[in-house]
Amino acid sequence: MRTHTPGIDSKIKRGSGELAILAMLDREPLHGYEISKRIAQQTGGVLQFNLASLYPLLYRMERRGWVKGDWEEAPSGRQRRYYRLTTEGKKQLAPLREEWGMFFQALHRIAGVSHAG
Amino acid sequence: MPANREWIKERLGALGLPPQREQEILRELSEHVEDLAAASEAHGMGRGEALHATLDSVPDWTELREAILSAEAEEANMNYRTKTLWLPVLGALTLSNVLLAGFQIFGPASRFRWPGGGTSLEPYLVFFVPWLVTQPGVGAIAAYWSRRAGGTMLHQSVAALAPAIALLGLFVLILPFSVLLDKQVEHNFRLHGFLILTLVWVVLPSVPLLLGAAPFLRRAHAQISR
Repeated sequence: MRTHTPGIDSKIKRGSGELAILAMLDREPLHGYEISKRIAQQTGGVLQFNLASLYPLLYRMERRGWVKGDWEEAPSGRQRRYYRLTTEGKKQLAPLREEWGMFFQALHRIAGVSHAG
Repeated sequence: MPANREWIKERLGALGLPPQREQEILRELSEHVEDLAAASEAHGMGRGEALHATLDSVPDWTELREAILSAEAEEANMNYRTKTLWLPVLGALTLSNVLLAGFQIFGPASRFRWPGGGTSLEPYLVFFVPWLVTQPGVGAIAAYWSRRAGGTMLHQSVAALAPAIALLGLFVLILPFSVLLDKQVEHNFRLHGFLILTLVWVVLPSVPLLLGAAPFLRRAHAQISR
C-alpha cells in the first residue's frame, strides 16, 4: 500500500490495510483487483494497493481465517478468486474500527491530525 | 488463462509451496495483471506495452515472493484461534494442574498433623488453599498470553478461567456418567455434594483466576500494528 507519508511504519500500513480490506469486503465479496480499485477510488487515491502490497495481506488474512477466497465466475466470464468476510473477520472489524478511531483521535490531540470520519 | 502467467512465474521464482497452492497464487496474480493491463489498454496503450508496464510496476519481485511466503507461513500451522485461545487455555490448564499435583504430592499434606487430631478436611485445606493462592498467577499468565497473541477479551477471559471451566465440564459430564456406570457412585451421590464440589473447585478458583487476569483483560492493541 502506498500512502503520502513515505516514512510511515510498515506495521501501521499493514494494520490500516487490513481495516480497509475488511471494510470493503463487509459490503460484498470482491476479487483482488476489484478490492484495490475500489479502495483507490473511495479514498481518492490516498490508499493504493498494488500487486506487491495487496496479495501478501490477503493471504495473511486468509490464513488467520478473517477472509475466505473462492474461485467464481466474474461478470466478464473469467474465473476470479472472490474474497468474502468470515464470521471471524466480521468480529475483527468492529474493534479495528474503534482502535483506528482512537488512534486518529490521539494523533489529533497531539498533532492536530484529524480523520475524515 | 492469461498469457502473462509464465512471465510472473519467471519473476517470482519457485515459491516452494504445495503445487496446488503455488498454481493458485500464480493464477490469481496473473488475473490481476491481466485486469491492470486491460485498464491501461483502455487508455490507449498497446497490449505488450501495457503488460510490461504492469509487471514493471512491482518494484521488487523478490520482496513480493518473500512477503507471500511470510504470509503463507505465518498461520500455516497455527490459525488465529489456536494462537489466541487454545494454546493459552492449554497453558493455563497444564500450569494449574501441575501446581495442584505438586501441592498434593510434594506439599506438607502428607506430613501434616493437625493439632488435636483435626477432621478429614484439614489435609485438603493444606494443599487446596496454597493452590488457590497460586491461581491469580495462572489467570494472569493465560490472559496475558492470549492478549499478546491478539486475542479478544472473550478469548482472554476464557483462557484465564480455563482451569475452572475444565473442572466444571468434568463434573457436569463425568459425574452423571459415573452414576450410570458405577452403582457405588450412585449410592453415594447427592446433589448437595455435587454443588459443594462445584463451589469449591469451580466457583472459588474462578475468583482468583479472574482477579489475576483482570489487569490484562483489555482489547489487544497489537491489532493496529499486527
